[in-house]
Amino acid sequence: MQNRGYYWLVTLLAIPAFIWLVPTLWMVSLSLQPNEVLARTTSSTALGLVPIPFTTENYAALFAFGQTPLWFLNSVIVALGMTLGVLAVSTTAGYALARLDFPLKTPVMVLCLIGLMVPEQAVFIPLYTMFADLGWHNSYHALILPRMAVPIGVFLMMQFFRAIPKDIEEAARIDGVGWLAIFWHVMLPLARPAMMTLAILTFLYAWNDYLWPLVSAQKRDYFTITLGLASIQSNFAQSEGLGRVMASGVIASLPVVVLFLIFQRYVVQAMTVGGSKG
Amino acid sequence: MGQQTSGRRGLSETGAALILISPFLAVYGLFLVYPFFKGVWISLHDWNLLEVAFNPDAKEYVGLRNYERVMWGKGITWGAFAAPVLQILGLIGIGAALWLGRTARVSRATAIALGIAALLLFVLPGFHPGEGGRWYDRRFWPTVGNTLVFVALAVPGVTISALLLAAALNRETRAMSVLRTLFFLSQVLSVTVVTLIWQIMFSPRQGLIANITELFGGSPIVWLTDERFAMAAIVITTVWWSLGIAMILFLAGLQDISKDLYEAAALDNATGMKAFWHITLPNLKRTITLVIVLQIILHFQVFGQSHLMTQGGPNDTTQVLVRYIYQTAFRDSELGRASAMAVFLFVIMGGFSILQFVLGREKD
Repeated sequence: MQNRGYYWLVTLLAIPAFIWLVPTLWMVSLSLQPNEVLARTTSSTALGLVPIPFTTENYAALFAFGQTPLWFLNSVIVALGMTLGVLAVSTTAGYALARLDFPLKTPVMVLCLIGLMVPEQAVFIPLYTMFADLGWHNSYHALILPRMAVPIGVFLMMQFFRAIPKDIEEAARIDGVGWLAIFWHVMLPLARPAMMTLAILTFLYAWNDYLWPLVSAQKRDYFTITLGLASIQSNFAQSEGLGRVMASGVIASLPVVVLFLIFQRYVVQAMTVGGSKG
Repeated sequence: MGQQTSGRRGLSETGAALILISPFLAVYGLFLVYPFFKGVWISLHDWNLLEVAFNPDAKEYVGLRNYERVMWGKGITWGAFAAPVLQILGLIGIGAALWLGRTARVSRATAIALGIAALLLFVLPGFHPGEGGRWYDRRFWPTVGNTLVFVALAVPGVTISALLLAAALNRETRAMSVLRTLFFLSQVLSVTVVTLIWQIMFSPRQGLIANITELFGGSPIVWLTDERFAMAAIVITTVWWSLGIAMILFLAGLQDISKDLYEAAALDNATGMKAFWHITLPNLKRTITLVIVLQIILHFQVFGQSHLMTQGGPNDTTQVLVRYIYQTAFRDSELGRASAMAVFLFVIMGGFSILQFVLGREKD
């Protein structure tokens, strides 16, 4: 029904869509303007939305000095480590809960379900004291481990495995294949789409998490990019220059935006699952 | 992971299950179950972060004193009209819940939830310090109040705009999918990027908003340090940031509404807004409730926007619960009191999670 009404609707919606995009565009545009200009005015060309005068020196400076590259690397390590860890414990536990029978299965399931209700904010203080006692703060595993305990991935995988027809397993059982081999060789390859969704959900969470890194990583060497960005934004104008802070913001957003644009369907799915279950 | 001993078929089912589930149960027990109970335990102690770190025996068991210190006061009394506006709203809510439940206009769970919420709205604001009395912690309830105000502004803001957008964007064309992407994009940014952008957007000297105001000859608003605008600024930022999920959930809900309904309505000349009002809304009731509950859970935990944009100010007007917990624990080192507040947060979140669970179940 591509009638005139439709084109009106698209045009009408393009206006709020553009307004929605403006803040992000502005960040990108400011990051591409010289700091001396920004100190005087942020609206040189078209309210500052077009980067004229243009420069890439903010990005060059970012990589020459400052800790942004290190923080970026920390974020990559933490996000990938967390993603692998969550995938490992969630696929195994999800399969066991969906398909295998074992004593105390129902209590275990209920216990995990209750865990979905516990927000990060309700456990971050005891986690802090616990990790402090162990001397674990300011390390990658301190940033990674707490999220591995969140049962949402287990439920996601459990729901997926439940939907797979039982015949596949039964055929393999008759051929004398062991349970672990079935899990590894038969079920995991089938689970790729669900694992992809879970991986993206975890990666986004890890990249963007703020509260736990804020309390756990006190040494600047262990900041993630999200945390590092927070630490430089409060005094941006004096120390670093607006352009450079904005360039940090762009760098900090690049992986998640690229991930979003490439895997849009999975990201939307992942965020829907994440949003609707914790 | 090949086959193990004990015959050709490898491990028994139970053995395999235990091997597969134990890694998760180990991290779950260590980093979620144990900390949760330890949190409750800390909340029963006078527990100074620094003192206990140097001397583990420096804590003292005080029972429920921390809860009292946080939530109660000296000479607290209850009055039916201590906070008339809220309490009358609560009474209206109780009436509405009874009526809606009796006439079966909404599901039972929704009516009960509304009733409980309204009852709390009637009862809780009634508490106040009597003659010569005072709250032990003067900042706690105002902080809870600010959090509720934030939720009360952000949730309808996100829900209504996401619903309208979803209804308008619910077509499978190239242009619509590009527009959907644009609206969703901000959702993947981290809270620190979002606050970085909006802090400068709102800046009276450098901000885009101030630049536009000046273009039209107005004088710029000092958004983040003006008591009248700080909360609004944080809400605007939040709506911009978290519209995407709600929109996507609504789009998924819209997919379930049969096209025939719209075609039948079109025969009766009901298109556009009319169709939205008479077909979309009634059929989307369950999704709307679910989105609202989700948003409440999400936004009740607000922290970054307040912590980074306004530092809880000006004059505590944007101080929110999680930030207060964070400060009490890590700035004031009062882990016991902070944990009591965290337990309070958990109880509220738990209530909404149960509601969400019940609503989600109803759908099946």
